[in-house]
Amino acid sequence: MGLYMGLACLAGLFMGPAARAERMVTDLSSHSIKITSEFSGTELLIFGAIERNIPQGDGGHGVVVEGADYDIIVVVQSERHDMIIRRKEQMGPIWANKEFRTIKNVQGYYAITSTRPLDLILPPEQLRDIAAGMKQLKVEFLEGATPEERKDFRAGFIRNMKAKKLYTQQEGTISILEGILFRAILEFPANMPVGDYQVDVHLIRDGEVLLSVKSPLEVGKAGLERIIYKFAHEYPAYYGIMAIIVALFAGWLGGFLSRKMSG
Amino acid sequence: MQIYLPIAEISINIFLLLAMGGAVGFLSGMFGVGGGFLMTPLLIFVGIPPAVAVATEANQITAASVSGALAHGRRGGIDFKMGGMLIIGGAVGSYFGAMIFTVLKETGQVDLMISLAYVLFLGSIGGMMFVESVRSILRNRRGDTTKPGRRPRTWVDALPLKMRFRTSKMYVSGLLPLAIGGLVGVLAAIMGVGGGFIMVPAMIYLLNMPIKVVIGTSLFQITFVTASVTFLHSVNTQTVDVVLALILLIGAVIGAQFGARVGLKLKGEQLRILLAILVLVVCAKMAVDLVVEPDELYSVTSVGVAH
Repeated sequence: MGLYMGLACLAGLFMGPAARAERMVTDLSSHSIKITSEFSGTELLIFGAIERNIPQGDGGHGVVVEGADYDIIVVVQSERHDMIIRRKEQMGPIWANKEFRTIKNVQGYYAITSTRPLDLILPPEQLRDIAAGMKQLKVEFLEGATPEERKDFRAGFIRNMKAKKLYTQQEGTISILEGILFRAILEFPANMPVGDYQVDVHLIRDGEVLLSVKSPLEVGKAGLERIIYKFAHEYPAYYGIMAIIVALFAGWLGGFLSRKMSG
Repeated sequence: MQIYLPIAEISINIFLLLAMGGAVGFLSGMFGVGGGFLMTPLLIFVGIPPAVAVATEANQITAASVSGALAHGRRGGIDFKMGGMLIIGGAVGSYFGAMIFTVLKETGQVDLMISLAYVLFLGSIGGMMFVESVRSILRNRRGDTTKPGRRPRTWVDALPLKMRFRTSKMYVSGLLPLAIGGLVGVLAAIMGVGGGFIMVPAMIYLLNMPIKVVIGTSLFQITFVTASVTFLHSVNTQTVDVVLALILLIGAVIGAQFGARVGLKLKGEQLRILLAILVLVVCAKMAVDLVVEPDELYSVTSVGVAH
């Protein structure tokens, strides 16, 4: 009975994109990134294999796909939140924040990497469908904006996120070994936002997305970092009192030790 | 070795922080000042968000002044009644300061306000100190001595609600310490300073308090008012980073030891000129940052923080 169920499940797995001969298996070096006190950014390895020859028994066509050129696009995105972008203007002699816009539902982290330049892999509409490329990102403002402002604020936003290494785009950095194995390495800076991330791996051939595999990735504070952060945000009054007590004690101890040291 | 600060949410070299704490501790040991007005700008220069720098520095000053306050208290160097009035003023001032701070943080103007406040105060205090110490050096060269005498009667004596301060042997209006404390409270909340550099001159020149209780009473007030600021910023903006404050404190305690020894070897006027120059340099750096066109005009902040 168990065996039968297992087989049924296995068959179901391969049935989904059954119209295609290819199969793709992917995984991440880690499904959860923990921000601890030693955290100074991290790398994530996204790897996988393309199988071209699937026996008929497994739901394939029994045909070996030969000589095909595959492309891989990997997109990693964090949860979406509203953000505020401000523009400095000269007021008298001073540069100060003046105009601002609220950006609706935008990724705090976005990374894309691919086997070749994106525009050689897919036409723009299809890139947009899979949110591939910073050019394709939706940046919508809550407040009204003229097309000119929209363009400037959008460019300013992308520049800011790139400068913080929160948005990256590396085209042509994935290589497919023997046409089977591929791997992509993505960098996460120390200031990465916490929350649920999504990793999408797309397999493409001849301007067509053949397969897309989603994997979850969780980024959260851990250990002491988590305790302090949660304490500060969930019980701010108690945190404040704790901060005062810690300071009073540490200050007293420091003074006591100094007196001992200086005789 | 990098350390990730839980509230500032950045990763920074722990030795850099210890060195900064040590350097500012050294200077404050040498000059006998709190050092908040140096540490807060320094934290901002190394990339700590200004709001976190201000709130955390208030927390660190609580730690830095408590042991001094206790020491003065044991020696009878605190006028508790005067200190109490200064604290009441300071509590009210810090409440309003923290409120202004919160509103400005929400409207994206807090960084500007911090810079402006620093340029204004450091510029005027540094300038005054510089002029004053140059004058006194010139006076000493000419061999003049200023004769200590009774302070002439001024508007201070005309204020109502006079109170008797036994320890200081003074009979002066209670409004004055309330106002001085209030101003210091506002500054503590918006600049992350103890405010000793305002309070000490005000106590000496305005209140005419005896020198022996000035420093102790000032430290006593600073301990309480920065504690109040720590609490208010924790509640309003969650910007107090305890880990950062502790690291800075460790550096400061060690630095102050060496600073105090060097300070004993230098003359008062020389010290004050050096301090004035230091203050003016920090002020100039902040002023330049305000008027030079920034490389990036746009800045992004997240509103929906994920927990």
